[in-house]
Amino acid sequence: MQMALADRLMAIVFLALGLALLVGGYTMERLEIRQIHPASIPGLVPMILGVLLSICAALLLMTSFRSADADGVDPDLVLSGGSWTRLGLTVVVCTVYALGLVGWLPYFWATFLFTLTFSLIFSFPVTGDIRAQVISAAGSLALAVAVALGTMLLFRDLFLVRLP
Amino acid sequence: MSGLFDLFNGFATLLTPTMLFHAAWATLLGIVVGSLPGLTATMGVALMTTLTYSLDSTTAILVLICMYVGAIYGGSRSAILLNIPGTPASAATALDGYPLAKAGRAGYAMGLATAGSALGTLAGVVMLVLIAPPLAEAALNFGSFEFFWLAVFGILISGQLTADTTPLKGYIAGILGLAVAMIGSEGIHAHVRFNMGISDLNAGIALIPAMVGAFGFAEVLTAMWNKAGELATKKDKSDRTIPHMVDLWRYKFTIAKSGLIGTMVGIIPGVGEDIGAWASYATARKSSKEKEKFGHGSYEGLIAAETGNSAVVPGSLIPAITLAVPGSASSAVLIAALFIHGIRPGPLIMIEQPHFVGLISAMVVIATVFMAIYGLTLTKAFVQVLRVPYSYLMPVVFVLCVIGTYALSQRIFDIWIMVAFGVIGFVLRQMKYPMAPLVLGIILGDLLDKSLRRGLTLSDGELAPFFARPVSAGFVALIVLSIAMNIPVVRRGVLAPFRWIGARFNA
Repeated sequence: MQMALADRLMAIVFLALGLALLVGGYTMERLEIRQIHPASIPGLVPMILGVLLSICAALLLMTSFRSADADGVDPDLVLSGGSWTRLGLTVVVCTVYALGLVGWLPYFWATFLFTLTFSLIFSFPVTGDIRAQVISAAGSLALAVAVALGTMLLFRDLFLVRLP
Repeated sequence: MSGLFDLFNGFATLLTPTMLFHAAWATLLGIVVGSLPGLTATMGVALMTTLTYSLDSTTAILVLICMYVGAIYGGSRSAILLNIPGTPASAATALDGYPLAKAGRAGYAMGLATAGSALGTLAGVVMLVLIAPPLAEAALNFGSFEFFWLAVFGILISGQLTADTTPLKGYIAGILGLAVAMIGSEGIHAHVRFNMGISDLNAGIALIPAMVGAFGFAEVLTAMWNKAGELATKKDKSDRTIPHMVDLWRYKFTIAKSGLIGTMVGIIPGVGEDIGAWASYATARKSSKEKEKFGHGSYEGLIAAETGNSAVVPGSLIPAITLAVPGSASSAVLIAALFIHGIRPGPLIMIEQPHFVGLISAMVVIATVFMAIYGLTLTKAFVQVLRVPYSYLMPVVFVLCVIGTYALSQRIFDIWIMVAFGVIGFVLRQMKYPMAPLVLGIILGDLLDKSLRRGLTLSDGELAPFFARPVSAGFVALIVLSIAMNIPVVRRGVLAPFRWIGARFNA
């Protein structure tokens, strides 16, 4: 994606957010019943931030058109030069662990499964020989046990945290 | 003199076997964290904050300072050996460090980087001891009006100086941070704002989960997204890690200048180590007799970059301790950690804990000593650290992000916040939105909000005191100038006299 296009999309998002802040601040309770000073209403700063964010979003939108017009092509690319597969797998594995497994499974097993899966996905030599595959699997297994057990003991027994 | 006395008192507190043991492992861990591309100093300090809850306050702060100093220095390892800065602070180091490594002089480059970092940090400590106490005393006269403009100035200047492309993105990041700070119970009437019906948001978004997400999870994603670097393995027989004194002496003015620039950059709110390194590098290049060597393995360029980024560390502590306004993203986490450990940074620090500046300065010096020892002796071990595959490293980092975040309040909700900030932080970074103003916005949001409304209440709705009081007027002038400097005509006009003076000096 070209930077100018990304800027345009983000400008629309920020404009919506700015307007939401403005409306949210304006409609926020003014606590008249508590007879507070009118200049200290809770919605004051959100309203100001909403206006400022909207102005910045409008300027971003304008400059994105101008930068694309100036040289015809926009050389800056967003989210390019990296691996989408690696990124996608990382996001999926990490969010499944953080938002799903933690709290659902006991901490040790959630962490063990996550670490094992993560390291196997990114280090297992699918096309390698048997020896390399065994070494990779054993390394991942050892890491998973060490991380799960180590962090469990550290936080539960040393820091006295009630683990999820 | 009392600053010096407090510094010696600080040493007396810290020079015990237990404290030195903590300083030793924390600095080593900091160097390891900093040397691994994808793990930054801010992430290291944020994660370490979650691991120091159970320590007493002095030990915990010592560990965090050592982590900070070590990580900023550690970034130079991968910058020199991989041409990938371990932390953004070492981006300028790679320019001359990597060519030296390619030429088989990696050991000497690391030695020079170590010497530069140590000297830069020490220069910054001197400034910390000298500047922090009077600044805190001056800040005692600040009222709501001044604090409001200080918060505005901090976010504005941070947005302006840290943005890669246009300052507009820095401003937007700062406003987003302030908007995040608006969530939850506000500080004057305890009215809950923007909780969207979620009771977990009533207390607002805590800084540590947000920081661990924006700097921890986002960095895991960035590391897995990027390609791995190529390790420079060529070795020259004449290579050595202990720098020649003659080389350091030859660049004494560069070291002094870079130390001063780094500290000054550190004092500017939310700007950080990378800007300190670039500003020092650019200044050294401008005044160098060997301009043509810069970018091709210049000793002077390498020393300037490393001295500059390391001097930012103590520099950034100056506003963090005295005004509770962080000089860098890492010091923003440090402020949160200080609150967790019962220390209230701000103008009252010199009244409530008058020896604290001396104590924290002594911590920085001890961290610097360990950094120098490790830097000069463990060069080969650090090369091995860079060989650890991400497939083994990143799950460990993410597990610490999750459990560290959870441990703060023992709420699953904080893990969700961490993940959300990680994903948003990754996307914003890819689109060149700087993270420092966002963090500064979160930390200064409450101050800005309360100061504006309290000031308006005091003045009965009048805006005049916000502009008429001397310090406020000074801040307003700086803010207007900072924004106006984005307009080319104004910039040319303002810089013309400086260019004229510079031309006279060069002639």
